[in-house]
Amino acid sequence: MGVVLLPYLYSGGVHKHWLILELLEDLGGYVIQKLVTGTEVNLIMLIPEKDVHLIKAISDKLHGVLLEAPLTGVEIAVVSPTLASHHLPHSACDVAEYLRHPGANTNMIGLARGMGRRVALSKDFERKLINEHDLAVFTFGSFSDCIINKKPKLFEGIEVPVVVTGGPELKTEEVSGADLYVGGIGRVSHRLRRGEEVQALESLNAGVSELVGKIRTELAKDPLAVLPARVMKEIENQIPEIHNVLSPGPITLQLKGLRVKLPYEAFHKRVENLEFDEGVFLSELANISRSKMKNYILIKIKYKSDVGFSI
Amino acid sequence: MDALETFIVEAAIPSEAGFYKKILEDNISSLKLAPAIGRLKVILRPEDSLFQMALLLRDIGSALTTADIAKVEAKVATEKEVRISIKKEQYLPELLRLLWKRYGKANIKQPDRWTVAVVVENPLKVAPFIENLVVADPRHTLHENLVDFAIRVTPEGFRVRYHLFKGQKFVFVASEDALKKEWIEEAGKMLEALERTKGGV
Repeated sequence: MGVVLLPYLYSGGVHKHWLILELLEDLGGYVIQKLVTGTEVNLIMLIPEKDVHLIKAISDKLHGVLLEAPLTGVEIAVVSPTLASHHLPHSACDVAEYLRHPGANTNMIGLARGMGRRVALSKDFERKLINEHDLAVFTFGSFSDCIINKKPKLFEGIEVPVVVTGGPELKTEEVSGADLYVGGIGRVSHRLRRGEEVQALESLNAGVSELVGKIRTELAKDPLAVLPARVMKEIENQIPEIHNVLSPGPITLQLKGLRVKLPYEAFHKRVENLEFDEGVFLSELANISRSKMKNYILIKIKYKSDVGFSI
Repeated sequence: MDALETFIVEAAIPSEAGFYKKILEDNISSLKLAPAIGRLKVILRPEDSLFQMALLLRDIGSALTTADIAKVEAKVATEKEVRISIKKEQYLPELLRLLWKRYGKANIKQPDRWTVAVVVENPLKVAPFIENLVVADPRHTLHENLVDFAIRVTPEGFRVRYHLFKGQKFVFVASEDALKKEWIEEAGKMLEALERTKGGV
């Protein structure tokens, strides 16, 4: 390995953007997501650290913008107590949308019975679904009594880091079970666009990026047997059917794995038998299971310490 | 009574009352209730899972008939039709819906924006009937909107609800546990206090 890959977002015109794609391929970087909207293109990519200036040079030539995207390759669950109009679309959707700016993939999850104080609860299925993500952001309401005393029971059984948003300004330590609390984003019935609301969303992004940074540092101590981005590239090469999937992110990267949006029954064998240049099969490097989300395939890559080697 | 001349939200923590006032304002504006509400008071007690709201409505308009929004004439000389000349265009969709249902789309003509003609056998008989047709009832829509408003602003988990809507008074109490009698009485007293107050915020 030895190559450090940095996440970047390029946004600019469609014209000649393939120059970036070609250079990135030559440099050994990866395109995580390509979104073409009209004449604009957004490329989320991983660029080798020492070659960033080369991509930057082309991007400047094309009059595009190259930004750091610290949440690239992170799948976040934005959990709302229910799907009722009390919680959605405002605040929860704004949170999800804002987290996408630095490159994260977000999924909205509305609990079936997460509302209220005494009656709030989560189902086993919901907990397992949330645990498939890298991180969960719970969007709560305006009462500190509820957030401190009643809602933390929804975090029971959640194994991924938990970020909580709510109206009052509380300390993270006051909310038991939370890894980060961000205030100023409570229950609202309008779009979050006032200065202090946008500021709160900014601090949420900063806090989540910091949390992800910590997970990455942990991961660097005991790295994964294979980079998720590399598995993504191999799937694109060896399973061409992925190109027919209409989801915006047919392969969603996670910090420790991937979600492949193909039906499990028909494709899990081919995913398991994915072969790398080194002659290793994916099933040796990762656990492949049926995702709780629809009928997708979930790949969780094993650590180098478990497999004994990394490629 | 002016529109929203009294608008009080009380909670143990003042900043939380502020959040809630914003939620109430947003819902009042999205349901276009601001002109209808005179005085409003909400007390929040999250520690008891309790939400109380008392509300006094302003004078609401009575039901509108076709005569209020248009001039109705029976034409018998040339063709047999009832001619309706619109004065208030905002109620036209409701009027048209009623006419289409009763006389069929084929018999309703709209030669221009301000005119609706209904082709009938005996216009002299039908014209007075159309004149007295109730086109819109602000009270009915207001009731619907108020109930919607109450449900939207209440914390979602508070599913045990009590409401009283009588004339211009509206009381709403919601909790997640069985409602206590004194909570409803308190809300009633809030309403009485609102009736006594004059102005103030």
